[in-house]
Amino acid sequence: MKRITDILCVFRIHLARLRREAGPFVLAALIFPTAMYLFAVAVSGAEEISDEKRLRFLAGSIVFSLSMTSISWLGYLLLENRFTGRLKLFATLPLAPSSYIFGVIIFALAQAALGTTTLLIVARALGVRANVSIASLSLVVLLTMLCLCGLSVSIAARARSFSEGSLLTDSLGAGLVFLAPVYYSAQAMPAALSSVSKWLPTSFAASGVQTALTGNFQAGTELLALALMALVTLSLGFRLMRWREE
Amino acid sequence: MTTSANKSIRAQSQTSAPDVAEENVVRVRGLVKRYRDGTAANRGIDLNVRRGEVVSILGPNGAGKTTFLRQLTTELKPTSGSVEIFGVNAVAEPESAKRMMGITPQEGGVFETLTVLEHFELFARFKGLRRREARLAAFDVADELGLGAEINKRVGHLSGGQRRRILIGLALLGRPPLLILDEPTTGLDPASRQTVWKVIRHVVAEGSTVIFSTHYMEEAERLSDRIGIIESGRLAAFDTLDKLFARLERSYRVEFSDPFDPLVEKSVRYFATFAEAQEHTASEQLSEYSIARASLEDIYFALTGERFVKAEEGEGA
Repeated sequence: MKRITDILCVFRIHLARLRREAGPFVLAALIFPTAMYLFAVAVSGAEEISDEKRLRFLAGSIVFSLSMTSISWLGYLLLENRFTGRLKLFATLPLAPSSYIFGVIIFALAQAALGTTTLLIVARALGVRANVSIASLSLVVLLTMLCLCGLSVSIAARARSFSEGSLLTDSLGAGLVFLAPVYYSAQAMPAALSSVSKWLPTSFAASGVQTALTGNFQAGTELLALALMALVTLSLGFRLMRWREE
Repeated sequence: MTTSANKSIRAQSQTSAPDVAEENVVRVRGLVKRYRDGTAANRGIDLNVRRGEVVSILGPNGAGKTTFLRQLTTELKPTSGSVEIFGVNAVAEPESAKRMMGITPQEGGVFETLTVLEHFELFARFKGLRRREARLAAFDVADELGLGAEINKRVGHLSGGQRRRILIGLALLGRPPLLILDEPTTGLDPASRQTVWKVIRHVVAEGSTVIFSTHYMEEAERLSDRIGIIESGRLAAFDTLDKLFARLERSYRVEFSDPFDPLVEKSVRYFATFAEAQEHTASEQLSEYSIARASLEDIYFALTGERFVKAEEGEGA
């Protein structure tokens, strides 16, 4: 019970920030992914664009939004906590590091839910016809977030300075989206890059989201891959996040 | 002033460690901290702190005060040695040890989007207080620290001194039986400092034990039962103020200025007796001088070779 209370308190502390800065959060979650969607539509020829392509671009934008939420912004938040002395406050408490991690991950999930829902509404307004399987999409979003949050926690726990950590999270947040076949098919990529990028979590996430947007619940491979990756990255994050310095 | 909520942690510690009720609540043995770059910040510190004591830790910058406190609070793992808090091995069981402690780190940060009340309420919940208890404890602590009028303000709108008081308040929540405060009053104005002193005296009267580091001699003199002076990673002295004074062979201090050049910095000489001091002023025909008993600053100087004013210029290490 104490553990659940701890997790919820960590979540509430961070939620206060979202509550008070909701405008910028929603805008940020919306502007980049929407702009990328419009850009992708524009460069692929907006006149004859097929519904399938539109769904791919929307899936790409959702993954982009998740990547920004989980790596860039959560990473920034964790780094800020660590390098402004806030993490020390948690460290002074009878609180397990894992409770802190779960608390911030729940916060990131709340942001992801908000961002994804907003993007779906905008996409509808832009004429994208999606037959969303809510359960499937929720599962893909959850596993993608867990996987990427694990990376974020690991970087924030190990970065030697705020600027080093920010550079790493920003590069990883954008890199994982643009190096994966998110806005375009794997066939369109150079062969060498394609063989690597197909193993990136964002590749599985984009494929899973696209399947969910077509109303299917048949993204077994993607879900399994994301679950395994989440297990690895979260284990790493839990291992690296320590209150006590050596 | 204190609610049952604030008493809960103390009650917990007393039931879990009845065997140490009258004994040392903190036992440190052979504490060594050597950093990876080879710097030896603590070189074998032994220390006992009794229940209900107020212990201050003094020392020049870089002497190892904060390193020592960070090991007590389990934030830093010792290279060797042991730390026991209420009989709990703090090195092996940091979370259990932290249940007995309220800690104010030297460089803790607050959450600017939270109000003072939210800070106190949420952190009280981390300390195991129920929702209603946490709220009562939050109001109690805010009142004690003179933050009652600011309780619903966001911390981002408060001054540095008020934020510092919030950090002290977080340590007080749940009235832990041991408080460890790293330079709690640094950056506070005199009135706020007085408020913090009052709070420390109050929690000690209620049975808590307090260990704090400070850069202010007056603070150490006024609050402490015993004073520890750390020099080059070693505990150079640890005793009551009277016993520390007794260490000085020459405990009378004559401070005088050159009658022909009053702008030159004042000179200081020490004497074993008041009579010797008077004799000196007469033989030197001093016209402007003062004779006083040695102060803690003189003891500090004798042990560390540094004037305390110098140490106040920067942050402790």
